[in-house]
Amino acid sequence: MGLIEKAPAYIERLPGGGIVTTTMDWVLNQSRASSLWYMLFGLACCAIEMMATGASRYDFDRFGMIFRASPRQADLMFVAGTVTHKMARRVKLLHEQMAEPRYVIAMGGCACNGGPFYYDCYSVLKGIDQIIPVDVYIPGCPPRPESLMEGCLKLQQKIKKEKLSDWASDRKKA
Amino acid sequence: MTKEEIINRFIGKFGSDIEVMEIDQPEPYLYISKQEYHELCEFAKSDPELDFDLLFQLGGVHYPDDRFEVVLCLASHEKIHKAAVKVKLDKDNPEIETVSDVWRAANWFEREALELFGIKFTNHPDPRPLLLYEDWDYGYPMRKGWTGPDFIPMPEK
Repeated sequence: MGLIEKAPAYIERLPGGGIVTTTMDWVLNQSRASSLWYMLFGLACCAIEMMATGASRYDFDRFGMIFRASPRQADLMFVAGTVTHKMARRVKLLHEQMAEPRYVIAMGGCACNGGPFYYDCYSVLKGIDQIIPVDVYIPGCPPRPESLMEGCLKLQQKIKKEKLSDWASDRKKA
Repeated sequence: MTKEEIINRFIGKFGSDIEVMEIDQPEPYLYISKQEYHELCEFAKSDPELDFDLLFQLGGVHYPDDRFEVVLCLASHEKIHKAAVKVKLDKDNPEIETVSDVWRAANWFEREALELFGIKFTNHPDPRPLLLYEDWDYGYPMRKGWTGPDFIPMPEK
């Protein structure tokens, strides 16, 4: 019952069973933040680091993060690596195929702003935020697994601050 | 075969059409005229002494003084030797015969060189674009002085 104790909740002590009253925001945000399933998707050397973070030594499972091999089942997309113009439209399509709420982490210099391919390059997109919205940027070439996990924790904090009303107003704007 | 033996073998067949580059490398670097290029490639592959059965690299080059070259890097699995063959091309109309009928590997290399440098390979069986994105319409990006959308040149120091 550790989780319930942390919840902004009022527990009715009624005979026959506990009734928990809390906010919908808290329940949704808690479940979204605690089970960020990420898409099995990597583009370049950053993907190797992402795989290392997912494997047993660094262990994404601790945050309830499991990879899904389909954008339809994923909540989070790591854009891990160099995004070429040719790949950019595929990345955009994959992002559109993910169900909302969906989150994007730009991992590494290339995904943030083109990184080492910023100058004198005809083929690389200068930052993934030109085509899809990004929640967390992680610099590094490539970032250490610790940085990646820090980025995920930052994203969790961000998700926990969300409000249902924000989603509704965002939907209206779109 | 040693470097000298390979050079002599080529010169024995093609004579003065071959120009040997003076370069401190373990492999021979040969220039061949455009007319003899295809024949030299066939010879390099079919000759039992040379036995160049592997084309491991074919690339275009655009030099700063505005001339084009095609460079072939050849190797032999059996004899364990290598050679590089170079051809000079016109700068206004870079065009050369394909060698994809000699080595199948040349097919994609030539498509790449066509797309990035604009070097045309005549009689190529399948000269479609290979690497750039589908609606690319900005010329040949590996040429000197090329600019295009989203291209940021390195600032002068």
